[in-house]
Amino acid sequence: MIEPITDFVSRFNTRISLDQRLILRKKNHYFLIDDNLKRSVRKGFFYAGTYLGKTKNGKFFPSFSLLRLIAEQDANQIAVDEKTEWLFICGRDVFKRGIKKVKGSKRKGDYTLVLNQQGECLGFGKILRDLNEKIKNGVTIQNISDIGDFLRREKKD
Amino acid sequence: MACEGPVKETALVFYWQPAYLRLMSDKKFFVSRYEKLGWKYRNVNLKQAIRINTMNSKEAEVVKRLQSHGIKLDKIPFLQSGYRVSWSEFSVGATSEYLMGLYSIQEAAAQIPVILFTELTDKTVLDACAAPGGKTVQLADLMQNTGAIIALDTKKQRLTALSNHLERCRVSNTIVYHMDARRSSRLNMKFDKILLDAPCSGNFATDKHWFRKRTINDVKRNAKLQKEILAESAKILKDNGEIVYATCSLEPEENEFNIDWAIKNLNLQIEKIDCYGEKAQTNIFGKQLDSSIENCRRIWPQKTQGFFVCKLIKCECK
Ligand SMILES: C[S@@+](CC[C@H](N)C(=O)[O-])C[C@H]1O[C@@H](n2cnc3c(N)ncnc32)[C@H](O)[C@@H]1O
Repeated sequence: MIEPITDFVSRFNTRISLDQRLILRKKNHYFLIDDNLKRSVRKGFFYAGTYLGKTKNGKFFPSFSLLRLIAEQDANQIAVDEKTEWLFICGRDVFKRGIKKVKGSKRKGDYTLVLNQQGECLGFGKILRDLNEKIKNGVTIQNISDIGDFLRREKKD
Repeated sequence: MACEGPVKETALVFYWQPAYLRLMSDKKFFVSRYEKLGWKYRNVNLKQAIRINTMNSKEAEVVKRLQSHGIKLDKIPFLQSGYRVSWSEFSVGATSEYLMGLYSIQEAAAQIPVILFTELTDKTVLDACAAPGGKTVQLADLMQNTGAIIALDTKKQRLTALSNHLERCRVSNTIVYHMDARRSSRLNMKFDKILLDAPCSGNFATDKHWFRKRTINDVKRNAKLQKEILAESAKILKDNGEIVYATCSLEPEENEFNIDWAIKNLNLQIEKIDCYGEKAQTNIFGKQLDSSIENCRRIWPQKTQGFFVCKLIKCECK
Protein backbone atom coordinates (compact mmCIF):
# COMPACT_ATOMS: atom_id res chain seq x y z
CA MET A 1 0.00 0.00 0.00
CA ILE A 2 2.86 2.41 0.72
CA GLU A 3 4.90 1.70 -2.42
CA PRO A 4 4.19 5.06 -4.03
CA ILE A 5 5.72 6.67 -0.94
CA THR A 6 8.77 4.40 -0.63
CA ASP A 7 9.42 4.63 -4.38
CA PHE A 8 9.31 8.38 -4.18
CA VAL A 9 11.64 8.50 -1.17
CA SER A 10 14.17 6.23 -2.92
CA ARG A 11 14.66 8.88 -5.60
CA PHE A 12 16.53 10.87 -2.95
CA ASN A 13 18.89 7.91 -2.39
CA THR A 14 17.48 7.26 1.06
CA ARG A 15 14.76 5.35 2.91
CA ILE A 16 12.38 6.17 5.70
CA SER A 17 10.83 3.55 7.91
CA LEU A 18 7.07 3.75 7.99
CA ASP A 19 4.92 1.46 10.13
CA GLN A 20 2.26 0.19 7.70
CA ARG A 21 -0.19 -0.17 10.61
CA LEU A 22 -0.08 3.55 11.13
CA ILE A 23 -0.59 4.62 7.54
CA LEU A 24 -4.14 5.52 6.59
CA ARG A 25 -5.31 5.86 3.05
CA LYS A 26 -8.30 7.93 2.12
CA LYS A 27 -8.99 7.61 -1.60
CA ASN A 28 -5.65 8.67 -3.09
CA HIS A 29 -4.40 10.52 0.02
CA TYR A 30 -1.97 9.04 2.56
CA PHE A 31 -1.70 9.95 6.25
CA LEU A 32 0.62 8.89 9.06
CA ILE A 33 -0.90 8.59 12.53
CA ASP A 34 0.30 7.37 15.92
CA ASP A 35 -1.22 4.76 18.24
CA ASN A 36 -3.12 7.39 20.16
CA LEU A 37 -4.80 8.77 17.02
CA LYS A 38 -5.39 5.22 15.80
CA ARG A 39 -7.72 4.71 18.77
CA SER A 40 -9.63 7.89 17.96
CA VAL A 41 -9.92 7.75 14.21
CA ARG A 42 -13.34 6.90 12.74
CA LYS A 43 -14.57 6.03 9.28
CA GLY A 44 -15.08 8.95 6.94
CA PHE A 45 -12.31 11.20 8.32
CA PHE A 46 -11.23 14.08 6.10
CA TYR A 47 -7.64 14.49 7.34
CA ALA A 48 -5.64 12.69 10.03
CA GLY A 49 -2.25 13.06 11.71
CA THR A 50 0.52 13.92 9.28
CA TYR A 51 -0.40 14.20 5.63
CA LEU A 52 2.14 12.36 3.48
CA GLY A 53 0.94 13.04 -0.04
CA LYS A 54 -1.32 11.82 -2.81
CA THR A 55 -1.20 9.86 -6.02
CA LYS A 56 -2.69 11.21 -9.22
CA ASN A 57 -2.55 9.53 -12.63
CA GLY A 58 0.01 7.08 -11.27
CA LYS A 59 2.30 9.84 -10.00
CA PHE A 60 3.08 10.58 -6.35
CA PHE A 61 2.82 14.14 -5.04
CA PRO A 62 4.53 14.45 -1.64
CA SER A 63 3.40 16.70 1.16
CA PHE A 64 5.86 19.09 2.76
CA SER A 65 5.67 16.99 5.93
CA LEU A 66 6.98 14.01 3.98
CA LEU A 67 9.77 16.13 2.51
CA ARG A 68 10.71 17.16 6.05
CA LEU A 69 10.80 13.50 7.10
CA ILE A 70 13.09 12.76 4.16
CA ALA A 71 15.28 15.72 5.06
CA GLU A 72 15.87 14.16 8.49
CA GLN A 73 17.54 11.20 6.69
CA ASP A 74 20.73 11.19 4.73
CA ALA A 75 18.96 12.34 1.58
CA ASN A 76 20.19 14.23 -1.48
CA GLN A 77 20.04 17.88 -0.65
CA ILE A 78 21.38 21.27 -1.58
CA ALA A 79 21.52 24.39 0.56
CA VAL A 80 20.87 27.68 -1.22
CA ASP A 81 21.59 31.33 -0.43
CA GLU A 82 18.95 33.76 0.78
CA LYS A 83 18.15 35.26 -2.62
CA THR A 84 17.77 31.84 -4.20
CA GLU A 85 15.58 30.76 -1.25
CA TRP A 86 13.20 33.59 -2.03
CA LEU A 87 13.18 32.90 -5.77
CA PHE A 88 12.69 29.17 -5.16
CA ILE A 89 9.61 29.67 -2.95
CA CYS A 90 8.24 31.92 -5.67
CA GLY A 91 8.33 28.87 -7.93
CA ARG A 92 11.63 29.53 -9.75
CA ASP A 93 14.38 27.06 -10.65
CA VAL A 94 17.78 27.11 -8.93
CA PHE A 95 20.81 28.62 -10.65
CA LYS A 96 24.26 27.15 -10.04
CA ARG A 97 25.60 30.27 -8.31
CA GLY A 98 22.83 30.15 -5.66
CA ILE A 99 23.92 26.72 -4.39
CA LYS A 100 26.05 26.89 -1.26
CA LYS A 101 26.34 23.22 -0.31
CA VAL A 102 25.56 19.84 -1.88
CA LYS A 103 25.02 16.59 0.00
CA GLY A 104 24.44 13.24 -1.71
CA SER A 105 23.89 12.82 -5.41
CA LYS A 106 25.11 15.33 -7.97
CA ARG A 107 23.83 13.21 -10.82
CA LYS A 108 21.57 14.56 -13.55
CA GLY A 109 18.02 13.21 -13.26
CA ASP A 110 18.09 12.58 -9.49
CA TYR A 111 15.80 14.33 -7.07
CA THR A 112 17.25 16.63 -4.43
CA LEU A 113 15.75 18.50 -1.51
CA VAL A 114 16.26 22.24 -1.46
CA LEU A 115 17.11 23.68 1.95
CA ASN A 116 17.80 27.21 3.14
CA GLN A 117 20.85 28.33 5.12
CA GLN A 118 19.12 27.32 8.37
CA GLY A 119 18.72 23.76 7.05
CA GLU A 120 14.94 24.07 6.65
CA CYS A 121 13.31 22.28 3.76
CA LEU A 122 11.85 24.56 1.09
CA GLY A 123 10.80 21.88 -1.39
CA PHE A 124 12.48 19.67 -3.94
CA GLY A 125 13.64 19.60 -7.49
CA LYS A 126 15.27 17.57 -10.21
CA ILE A 127 18.98 17.89 -11.02
CA LEU A 128 19.08 19.10 -14.63
CA ARG A 129 22.85 18.89 -15.17
CA ASP A 130 25.53 17.14 -13.18
CA LEU A 131 26.42 19.36 -10.26
CA ASN A 132 30.10 18.53 -10.84
CA GLU A 133 29.96 20.07 -14.28
CA LYS A 134 32.21 23.10 -14.49
CA ILE A 135 29.80 25.79 -15.54
CA LYS A 136 29.72 29.29 -14.17
CA ASN A 137 25.96 29.60 -14.06
CA GLY A 138 22.69 28.45 -15.57
CA VAL A 139 19.71 26.56 -14.23
CA THR A 140 20.84 23.40 -12.48
CA ILE A 141 17.83 22.36 -10.38
CA GLN A 142 14.34 22.35 -11.78
CA ASN A 143 11.76 23.37 -9.16
CA ILE A 144 9.18 20.60 -8.80
CA SER A 145 7.52 21.69 -5.58
CA ASP A 146 8.12 24.49 -3.07
CA ILE A 147 6.45 25.78 0.11
CA GLY A 148 5.15 28.82 -1.79
CA ASP A 149 2.48 26.35 -2.83
CA PHE A 150 0.69 27.06 0.47
CA LEU A 151 0.14 30.63 -0.71
CA ARG A 152 -0.91 29.54 -4.17
CA ARG A 153 -3.44 27.17 -2.55
CA GLU A 154 -4.78 29.99 -0.30
CA LYS A 155 -5.30 32.15 -3.37
CA LYS A 156 -7.08 29.32 -5.17
CA ASP A 157 -9.51 28.70 -2.25
CA MET B 1 -36.48 29.37 25.22
CA ALA B 2 -33.76 30.97 27.28
CA CYS B 3 -34.15 34.43 25.88
CA GLU B 4 -37.80 34.70 26.79
CA GLY B 5 -38.30 37.40 29.34
CA PRO B 6 -40.78 39.99 30.47
CA VAL B 7 -42.54 41.59 27.53
CA LYS B 8 -40.99 45.00 27.77
CA GLU B 9 -40.16 47.32 24.96
CA THR B 10 -36.63 45.94 24.79
CA ALA B 11 -37.88 42.39 24.59
CA LEU B 12 -40.21 43.40 21.80
CA VAL B 13 -37.25 44.76 19.93
CA PHE B 14 -35.72 41.33 20.05
CA TYR B 15 -38.74 39.20 19.31
CA TRP B 16 -41.20 40.98 17.14
CA GLN B 17 -39.14 43.83 15.82
CA PRO B 18 -41.94 46.38 15.59
CA ALA B 19 -42.44 48.40 12.46
CA TYR B 20 -40.85 51.55 13.89
CA LEU B 21 -37.62 49.65 14.39
CA ARG B 22 -37.71 48.11 10.95
CA LEU B 23 -37.73 51.64 9.60
CA MET B 24 -34.58 52.37 11.54
CA SER B 25 -31.41 51.55 9.65
CA ASP B 26 -29.80 48.38 10.92
CA LYS B 27 -26.76 50.38 11.92
CA LYS B 28 -28.79 52.69 14.16
CA PHE B 29 -30.60 49.71 15.60
CA PHE B 30 -27.43 47.84 16.54
CA VAL B 31 -25.54 50.91 17.67
CA SER B 32 -28.40 51.85 20.00
CA ARG B 33 -28.24 48.36 21.49
CA TYR B 34 -24.49 48.75 22.14
CA GLU B 35 -25.23 52.04 23.88
CA LYS B 36 -27.73 50.29 26.11
CA LEU B 37 -24.90 47.93 27.01
CA GLY B 38 -22.77 50.94 27.95
CA TRP B 39 -20.51 51.14 24.91
CA LYS B 40 -20.37 54.05 22.54
CA TYR B 41 -19.88 53.04 18.93
CA ARG B 42 -16.65 54.12 17.25
CA ASN B 43 -14.88 52.84 14.22
CA VAL B 44 -11.66 50.92 14.71
CA ASN B 45 -8.56 50.31 12.68
CA LEU B 46 -7.08 46.97 13.58
CA LYS B 47 -3.42 46.11 13.25
CA GLN B 48 -2.56 42.66 12.01
CA ALA B 49 -1.45 40.20 14.67
CA ILE B 50 0.60 37.02 14.55
CA ARG B 51 1.11 34.11 16.95
CA ILE B 52 4.40 32.22 17.10
CA ASN B 53 4.08 28.45 16.88
CA THR B 54 6.44 27.48 19.67
CA MET B 55 6.22 23.78 18.81
CA ASN B 56 8.14 24.50 15.63
CA SER B 57 10.70 27.05 16.74
CA LYS B 58 11.85 29.20 19.65
CA GLU B 59 9.78 32.36 19.96
CA ALA B 60 12.78 34.67 20.29
CA GLU B 61 14.40 33.20 17.20
CA VAL B 62 11.31 33.71 15.05
CA VAL B 63 10.96 37.29 16.27
CA LYS B 64 14.62 37.92 15.45
CA ARG B 65 14.24 36.44 11.98
CA LEU B 66 11.20 38.55 11.23
CA GLN B 67 12.92 41.67 12.54
CA SER B 68 15.85 40.92 10.24
CA HIS B 69 13.39 41.23 7.32
CA GLY B 70 12.51 44.71 8.59
CA ILE B 71 9.19 43.66 10.14
CA LYS B 72 8.36 45.62 13.30
CA LEU B 73 6.61 43.63 16.00
CA ASP B 74 5.13 44.66 19.36
CA LYS B 75 4.45 42.00 21.97
CA ILE B 76 0.76 41.88 22.95
CA PRO B 77 0.84 41.99 26.76
CA PHE B 78 -2.27 39.89 27.42
CA LEU B 79 -1.28 36.98 25.14
CA GLN B 80 1.31 34.22 25.37
CA SER B 81 3.08 34.35 22.01
CA GLY B 82 1.12 37.08 20.24
CA TYR B 83 2.61 40.12 18.47
CA ARG B 84 1.14 43.07 16.62
CA VAL B 85 2.70 43.85 13.28
CA SER B 86 3.33 47.57 13.60
CA TRP B 87 5.16 47.83 10.29
CA SER B 88 6.06 45.60 7.38
CA GLU B 89 7.03 46.41 3.84
CA PHE B 90 5.41 43.22 2.55
CA SER B 91 2.70 40.81 3.58
CA VAL B 92 3.59 38.79 6.68
CA GLY B 93 1.72 35.97 4.98
CA ALA B 94 4.42 35.63 2.34
CA THR B 95 7.66 35.07 4.28
CA SER B 96 9.42 31.71 4.27
CA GLU B 97 8.98 31.65 8.08
CA TYR B 98 5.21 31.82 7.58
CA LEU B 99 5.28 29.16 4.87
CA MET B 100 7.31 26.91 7.19
CA GLY B 101 4.66 27.23 9.89
CA LEU B 102 6.80 29.14 12.37
CA TYR B 103 3.92 31.53 12.99
CA SER B 104 0.26 32.04 12.17
CA ILE B 105 -1.64 35.19 11.35
CA GLN B 106 -4.29 35.34 14.05
CA GLU B 107 -6.26 38.32 15.28
CA ALA B 108 -5.38 39.26 18.88
CA ALA B 109 -8.75 38.54 20.53
CA ALA B 110 -8.97 35.27 18.63
CA GLN B 111 -5.81 34.15 20.43
CA ILE B 112 -7.55 34.33 23.84
CA PRO B 113 -9.95 31.33 23.96
CA VAL B 114 -7.36 28.56 23.64
CA ILE B 115 -5.13 29.93 26.40
CA LEU B 116 -8.05 29.67 28.85
CA PHE B 117 -7.92 25.86 28.97
CA THR B 118 -6.02 24.38 31.87
CA GLU B 119 -3.37 21.76 31.08
CA LEU B 120 -3.86 20.52 27.53
CA THR B 121 -0.97 18.05 27.26
CA ASP B 122 -2.11 14.52 26.33
CA LYS B 123 -5.77 15.49 26.46
CA THR B 124 -8.57 14.59 24.04
CA VAL B 125 -9.92 17.85 22.68
CA LEU B 126 -12.86 18.62 20.42
CA ASP B 127 -12.61 21.69 18.21
CA ALA B 128 -16.29 21.79 17.34
CA CYS B 129 -16.26 24.54 14.69
CA ALA B 130 -12.70 24.45 13.52
CA ALA B 131 -12.16 25.87 10.06
CA PRO B 132 -10.01 27.56 8.86
CA GLY B 133 -8.05 26.30 11.85
CA GLY B 134 -6.33 29.24 13.54
CA LYS B 135 -7.32 27.90 16.93
CA THR B 136 -6.80 24.22 16.01
CA VAL B 137 -3.16 25.03 15.31
CA GLN B 138 -2.94 27.02 18.55
CA LEU B 139 -4.39 24.05 20.47
CA ALA B 140 -1.86 21.69 18.85
CA ASP B 141 0.87 24.16 19.72
CA LEU B 142 -0.08 24.31 23.41
CA MET B 143 -0.45 20.51 23.41
CA GLN B 144 2.97 20.24 21.72
CA ASN B 145 1.31 17.80 19.31
CA THR B 146 0.41 15.35 22.09
CA GLY B 147 -3.03 13.83 22.79
CA ALA B 148 -5.68 14.16 20.11
CA ILE B 149 -7.70 16.98 18.62
CA ILE B 150 -10.89 16.14 16.77
CA ALA B 151 -11.74 19.05 14.49
CA LEU B 152 -15.17 19.44 12.86
CA ASP B 153 -16.70 21.81 10.38
CA THR B 154 -19.67 21.71 8.06
CA LYS B 155 -18.14 23.60 5.13
CA LYS B 156 -16.09 21.33 2.92
CA GLN B 157 -14.17 24.14 1.26
CA ARG B 158 -13.14 25.50 4.65
CA LEU B 159 -11.93 22.02 5.59
CA THR B 160 -9.44 22.21 2.75
CA ALA B 161 -8.14 25.49 4.15
CA LEU B 162 -7.99 23.87 7.61
CA SER B 163 -6.01 20.91 6.23
CA ASN B 164 -3.53 23.20 4.48
CA HIS B 165 -3.13 25.11 7.72
CA LEU B 166 -2.41 21.89 9.65
CA GLU B 167 0.12 20.76 7.06
CA ARG B 168 1.87 24.13 6.94
CA CYS B 169 2.13 24.37 10.74
CA ARG B 170 3.26 20.73 11.13
CA VAL B 171 0.32 19.69 13.27
CA SER B 172 0.28 15.91 13.71
CA ASN B 173 -2.26 15.23 16.48
CA THR B 174 -5.48 16.19 14.69
CA ILE B 175 -8.25 14.27 12.95
CA VAL B 176 -10.63 16.32 10.83
CA TYR B 177 -14.21 15.35 9.99
CA HIS B 178 -16.76 16.93 7.71
CA MET B 179 -19.41 16.90 10.40
CA ASP B 180 -22.08 19.04 11.97
CA ALA B 181 -21.14 19.71 15.61
CA ARG B 182 -24.79 19.12 16.52
CA ARG B 183 -24.19 15.45 15.63
CA SER B 184 -20.82 15.06 17.35
CA SER B 185 -22.05 12.34 19.75
CA ARG B 186 -21.95 10.09 16.65
CA LEU B 187 -18.18 10.01 17.16
CA ASN B 188 -18.78 7.90 20.27
CA MET B 189 -16.10 9.73 22.17
CA LYS B 190 -15.86 11.69 25.40
CA PHE B 191 -13.73 14.80 25.55
CA ASP B 192 -11.60 16.42 28.26
CA LYS B 193 -11.88 19.82 26.59
CA ILE B 194 -14.16 21.33 23.98
CA LEU B 195 -13.48 24.52 22.09
CA LEU B 196 -16.71 25.98 20.82
CA ASP B 197 -15.67 28.86 18.59
CA ALA B 198 -19.21 29.23 17.45
CA PRO B 199 -20.48 30.28 14.03
CA CYS B 200 -21.79 33.77 14.75
CA SER B 201 -22.94 37.04 13.24
CA GLY B 202 -19.45 38.55 13.44
CA ASN B 203 -18.86 42.23 14.10
CA PHE B 204 -18.25 45.46 12.23
CA ALA B 205 -14.58 45.69 13.21
CA THR B 206 -13.58 42.88 10.87
CA ASP B 207 -16.28 43.39 8.23
CA LYS B 208 -16.86 46.86 6.87
CA HIS B 209 -20.21 45.88 5.34
CA TRP B 210 -21.42 44.35 8.59
CA PHE B 211 -24.21 46.82 9.34
CA ARG B 212 -25.52 46.62 5.80
CA LYS B 213 -25.55 42.83 5.82
CA ARG B 214 -26.80 41.88 9.24
CA THR B 215 -30.27 41.83 10.70
CA ILE B 216 -31.61 40.80 14.08
CA ASN B 217 -32.98 37.68 12.39
CA ASP B 218 -29.44 36.54 11.59
CA VAL B 219 -28.57 37.03 15.23
CA LYS B 220 -31.56 34.95 16.32
CA ARG B 221 -30.76 32.20 13.84
CA ASN B 222 -27.15 32.02 14.99
CA ALA B 223 -28.15 32.07 18.66
CA LYS B 224 -30.36 29.03 18.07
CA LEU B 225 -27.60 27.12 16.27
CA GLN B 226 -25.13 28.00 19.03
CA LYS B 227 -27.48 26.64 21.70
CA GLU B 228 -27.86 23.39 19.78
CA ILE B 229 -24.08 22.99 19.51
CA LEU B 230 -23.69 23.86 23.21
CA ALA B 231 -26.24 21.20 24.15
CA GLU B 232 -24.50 18.52 22.07
CA SER B 233 -21.09 19.54 23.44
CA ALA B 234 -22.31 19.24 27.04
CA LYS B 235 -23.39 15.65 26.29
CA ILE B 236 -19.97 14.50 25.10
CA LEU B 237 -17.90 16.37 27.68
CA LYS B 238 -16.37 14.33 30.52
CA ASP B 239 -17.29 15.23 34.09
CA ASN B 240 -15.20 18.20 35.22
CA GLY B 241 -14.30 18.73 31.57
CA GLU B 242 -14.01 22.25 30.17
CA ILE B 243 -15.80 24.04 27.35
CA VAL B 244 -14.43 27.34 26.16
CA TYR B 245 -17.22 29.14 24.34
CA ALA B 246 -16.34 32.09 22.12
CA THR B 247 -17.94 34.27 19.48
CA CYS B 248 -16.82 37.35 17.62
CA SER B 249 -20.34 38.72 17.90
CA LEU B 250 -21.31 41.72 20.03
CA GLU B 251 -24.93 40.65 20.31
CA PRO B 252 -26.07 39.44 23.76
CA GLU B 253 -28.38 36.81 22.24
CA GLU B 254 -25.27 34.96 21.00
CA ASN B 255 -23.33 35.55 24.18
CA GLU B 256 -24.68 36.31 27.67
CA PHE B 257 -28.23 35.05 26.93
CA ASN B 258 -26.95 31.78 25.50
CA ILE B 259 -24.62 31.16 28.42
CA ASP B 260 -27.37 32.00 30.89
CA TRP B 261 -29.50 29.37 29.14
CA ALA B 262 -26.62 26.85 29.13
CA ILE B 263 -25.95 27.02 32.87
CA LYS B 264 -29.66 26.71 33.61
CA ASN B 265 -30.22 23.75 31.30
CA LEU B 266 -27.02 21.83 30.60
CA ASN B 267 -25.37 20.91 33.89
CA LEU B 268 -22.61 23.40 33.25
CA GLN B 269 -21.24 26.13 35.43
CA ILE B 270 -19.16 29.16 34.61
CA GLU B 271 -15.58 29.26 35.80
CA LYS B 272 -13.97 32.57 36.53
CA ILE B 273 -11.35 33.52 33.95
CA ASP B 274 -8.62 36.05 34.10
CA CYS B 275 -8.11 37.57 30.69
CA TYR B 276 -8.35 40.74 28.62
CA GLY B 277 -11.85 42.19 28.36
CA GLU B 278 -14.52 43.47 30.67
CA LYS B 279 -16.91 41.58 32.94
CA ALA B 280 -20.07 40.59 31.10
CA GLN B 281 -23.25 42.25 32.35
CA THR B 282 -25.94 40.43 34.27
CA ASN B 283 -28.84 42.70 33.44
CA ILE B 284 -29.32 43.18 29.72
CA PHE B 285 -32.26 44.85 27.95
CA GLY B 286 -34.28 44.47 31.16
CA LYS B 287 -33.57 40.78 31.54
CA GLN B 288 -31.91 39.63 34.77
CA LEU B 289 -29.31 36.91 34.16
CA ASP B 290 -27.53 34.59 36.56
CA SER B 291 -24.96 36.50 38.61
CA SER B 292 -22.14 34.15 37.50
CA ILE B 293 -22.46 35.58 33.98
CA GLU B 294 -20.18 38.37 35.17
CA ASN B 295 -17.35 35.81 34.97
CA CYS B 296 -17.64 35.83 31.18
CA ARG B 297 -15.59 38.38 29.25
CA ARG B 298 -16.94 40.84 26.70
CA ILE B 299 -14.42 42.62 24.50
CA TRP B 300 -15.54 45.77 22.71
CA PRO B 301 -13.68 46.62 19.50
CA GLN B 302 -10.75 48.90 20.19
CA LYS B 303 -7.32 47.29 20.32
CA THR B 304 -8.87 44.06 19.06
CA GLN B 305 -11.99 43.05 17.20
CA GLY B 306 -15.20 42.55 19.20
CA PHE B 307 -15.32 39.28 21.10
CA PHE B 308 -17.01 37.29 23.83
CA VAL B 309 -15.48 34.39 25.71
CA CYS B 310 -16.22 32.23 28.72
CA LYS B 311 -15.26 28.93 30.28
CA LEU B 312 -17.80 26.33 31.36
CA ILE B 313 -17.19 23.28 33.54
CA LYS B 314 -19.37 20.19 33.54
CA CYS B 315 -20.55 19.47 37.07
CA GLU B 316 -20.23 15.92 38.36
CA CYS B 317 -23.46 16.30 40.29
CA LYS B 318 -26.20 14.99 37.93
C1 LIG C 1 -15.97 31.34 13.88
S1 LIG C 1 -15.69 30.20 12.63
C2 LIG C 1 -14.45 29.16 13.32
C3 LIG C 1 -13.06 29.72 13.26
C4 LIG C 1 -12.01 28.72 13.69
N1 LIG C 1 -12.28 28.19 15.01
C5 LIG C 1 -10.63 29.31 13.67
O1 LIG C 1 -10.08 29.66 14.71
O2 LIG C 1 -10.06 29.40 12.56
C6 LIG C 1 -17.10 29.18 12.74
C7 LIG C 1 -17.04 27.94 11.87
O3 LIG C 1 -18.18 27.12 12.20
C8 LIG C 1 -18.55 26.41 11.06
N2 LIG C 1 -19.92 25.87 11.30
C9 LIG C 1 -21.10 26.44 11.04
N3 LIG C 1 -22.10 25.64 11.46
C10 LIG C 1 -21.52 24.54 12.00
C11 LIG C 1 -22.01 23.35 12.59
N4 LIG C 1 -23.32 23.14 12.72
N5 LIG C 1 -21.11 22.42 13.01
C12 LIG C 1 -19.77 22.63 12.86
N6 LIG C 1 -19.27 23.75 12.32
C13 LIG C 1 -20.12 24.69 11.89
C14 LIG C 1 -18.41 27.41 9.94
O4 LIG C 1 -18.29 26.77 8.69
C15 LIG C 1 -17.14 28.17 10.36
O5 LIG C 1 -16.03 27.62 9.73
